[in-house]
Amino acid sequence: MIRMWKEFSKGLWKELPPFRLMLGLCPTLAVTASANDGLGMGAAVIFVLTLSNVLISLVRKIIPQKVRIACYIAIAATLVVVVELLMQAFAYPLYQSLGIFVPLIVVNCIILGRAEAFAGKNPVHLALVDGLGIGIGYMISLTFLGSLREVLGKGTWFGHPVMWDGFEPFGFMVMAPGAFIALGLIVGAMNFLNMRMAKKKAQGALQEMDGCAACGGCAMATKSREL
Amino acid sequence: MGELVKMVVVLSVICGASGFVLSNLKEYTAPLIEMQVLTYEQKPAIERIFAEMENDPVADRRRFEIPGRDMPVTVFPIMKNGKLAAVALEGFGQGYSGDVSIMVGIDPQRDALIGISPAKMQETPGIGSRIAEPKFTDQFAGARFQDARSKADGGKIDAVSGATVSSGAVFQAVSGVLANYGAIKSDILKTWKSGD
Repeated sequence: MIRMWKEFSKGLWKELPPFRLMLGLCPTLAVTASANDGLGMGAAVIFVLTLSNVLISLVRKIIPQKVRIACYIAIAATLVVVVELLMQAFAYPLYQSLGIFVPLIVVNCIILGRAEAFAGKNPVHLALVDGLGIGIGYMISLTFLGSLREVLGKGTWFGHPVMWDGFEPFGFMVMAPGAFIALGLIVGAMNFLNMRMAKKKAQGALQEMDGCAACGGCAMATKSREL
Repeated sequence: MGELVKMVVVLSVICGASGFVLSNLKEYTAPLIEMQVLTYEQKPAIERIFAEMENDPVADRRRFEIPGRDMPVTVFPIMKNGKLAAVALEGFGQGYSGDVSIMVGIDPQRDALIGISPAKMQETPGIGSRIAEPKFTDQFAGARFQDARSKADGGKIDAVSGATVSSGAVFQAVSGVLANYGAIKSDILKTWKSGD
């Protein structure tokens, strides 16, 4: 139970995909012109990521090592087309505003990254909470970024006016440059908070590398263990 | 050797299962998706042309075959007092970036246009997109069939200056609709009772 909570909660802050791992940035920047689009994209990713994690974890023992990536992609691609068809059938306006970024979920590095780093090596219940945690973290990030841009760029939140009368919207916030500026500010703020928290614990900033250690694949993890 | 066979079998099974799921889902969602497209793309365009109507033109739409052509033409009827007041047809023209789709409203009594409205286009914002502005589209309201073309072409419509290609797409779409309408007019009048 503790293990499950740990796998779930890591996606909410420590390994928050777009702001901490810097994964899945393409849709993060492109579809967050409004809070609603961010929420919709996040929901689509939760669906695909959770199901792909569960399916991949179920078949992980019969998939031959050499064709595992092809199998992961086939499973993720199927789920993405399912989402695309369902979105067209039941939420067409959302499909219109997300456009090309729905089919592109299949090459979103979060999906393949979680499959390779986690679902392919862990039992189903852990893969499920991992997918849910990372997915929800992604959705919250996108909705937050979308809210920030929508409030500043249009003066509305989920389509409802929230700013005072006479508020002059910063039009560029809903354009492409606004996405980069908002992302930079959020990442900066998160790093600042993390530094503060790490200092309070009186342990160096190295603590942050714990998240990487779970993956075990990259040089950073080995380095943090050595240190 | 065994590993090779296993690789082929596992990947084939996964892809086969995926194909099975997707083809079933596609079949199930196809009518739903068609309805959504009509509701969110064609219907707003029809509503911009006709301020008042007592029926749902999308629900009442009918397909008509044109002799010698593969694609049937979809006609949206607009009823008033239980009788056919007008019809709307969609036409396509080659724009600056992709197809421009134009909804054209036609009065079957007077053989004249009631108005046009773009249903879907990706023309350059601020330049080609001006074909959606009333200054341009209002010229089509009430125009007789032979007048609904550009002045350069012997008609009475001023093209949008600086947006030759986008305007051309509209003229192409309108003339396509008028040609289709001419071919199926008698069928349309047989299907729905018109006024008077």
